[in-house]
Amino acid sequence: MRAPRRLALTGWGLLLAASLAACGSQEPTPAGLGDPLQGRFIAMREACGSCHAIPGLQQADGLAGPPLTGFARRARIAGMLANTPDNLVRWLRSPQVVVPGNAMPDLRLTDKEARDVAAYLETLR
Amino acid sequence: MRPAGRAFWTGFALWVAGGVSAAAAAGAVALYVIFGGAFDAAASTPHLPIVAWATHVTMIHSVRSRARAVVAPRAFTAAQVAAGAREYDQRCAACHGGPALARAAWAGGLTPTPPYLLDAARRWSAPELYWIVDNGVKMTAMPAWGEAESRDRIWEVVAFLEVLPRLSPGDYARMRGTTAPTAPDPLQASQPAPPTR
Repeated sequence: MRAPRRLALTGWGLLLAASLAACGSQEPTPAGLGDPLQGRFIAMREACGSCHAIPGLQQADGLAGPPLTGFARRARIAGMLANTPDNLVRWLRSPQVVVPGNAMPDLRLTDKEARDVAAYLETLR
Repeated sequence: MRPAGRAFWTGFALWVAGGVSAAAAAGAVALYVIFGGAFDAAASTPHLPIVAWATHVTMIHSVRSRARAVVAPRAFTAAQVAAGAREYDQRCAACHGGPALARAAWAGGLTPTPPYLLDAARRWSAPELYWIVDNGVKMTAMPAWGEAESRDRIWEVVAFLEVLPRLSPGDYARMRGTTAPTAPDPLQASQPAPPTR
C-alpha cells in the first residue's frame, strides 16, 4: 500500500473514531481498519467466495454476488454507498439495513471482524 | 555393439541411488505426516492451499463422472419446489444459508466451510446436485442424505436448488413462512425450473 493511501485510511479511521466517540459508543473502536490477514481468514470462514469471485482466495468463484476484483478501487459499495472504509464496515455489518431485501445475509460480524474484513477488501486492487 | 563401459555403470548407479533416496525421503515425509503429528487436523485452521485445491478439484471431477448415471426428471413441478424449500429449510439452511439468510454461526467452524448455494444450479447440473445430496461428500461435513431420505424427497430438494438462483429473499422468506423483507423484491418471482444441461 502506498503511503498517501495509508495516510488517507488513517484519516478516515480517526474521523470515524471521533464520530463514534461523539455518539458515546460503548464499543471500544480501533482507529481505522483492522488486520487484513485476519480479515482474509474471516472471508474464507464465512464462505464469502461461494457468492463472490475474490482473486487470491481459495475456491472463491461465486456467481451469486458481484465479483470483488479490484474492490479497493471501486467507487461504490452495493451500488449504494461511496466506497469509504467506514461505509464498508457499515455495509459488512448491516447489508440488510443498507439495501433491504438484497440477497446478502447479515453475517452478524462484530465491529472488529468487519474492520478486519474491510482491511482485507482494501488490499484487492 | 560395444559392452557398457565404466562410465555407464557409474551413471546408472547414481540414478538408482538418487531414486532410492528420493523414495526414502518421500516415505519419511509420509511417516512424519501420518504418525508424527505434522498434519494439522484442526478445523479451526484452513487447509494448505495445495490441499484445498487438490481435494476440491478431485471432488468436482468425482461428482461429474459419477453423476452421469443419474437421470433427471424432464421438469419439476411447483409442488416439488415448495416441498424442496421446506426440506431445505429444515436440513440444509443451517450449513448452507439462503438468500439474505446467514448460515448458523457454527457453520463457520467447519473446514472446508459449507458454501452458500445461491449459484449451485449454475455450477452443477440437476443429476450432479442429486448425486451430491444423495451420496454426500467425503472429508466435508456433507452427509449422504440418501441414507435418511427417499429419492423423491432428494429430487424435491434439487427442484428447489434449481429455482434458488432466481429466488428473491422475499419469496424465500415466504416459502419458509417467515416475514418478508420490507423492501420490494428486486429479483424475479419463483417459477419451477426445468433441469439445466
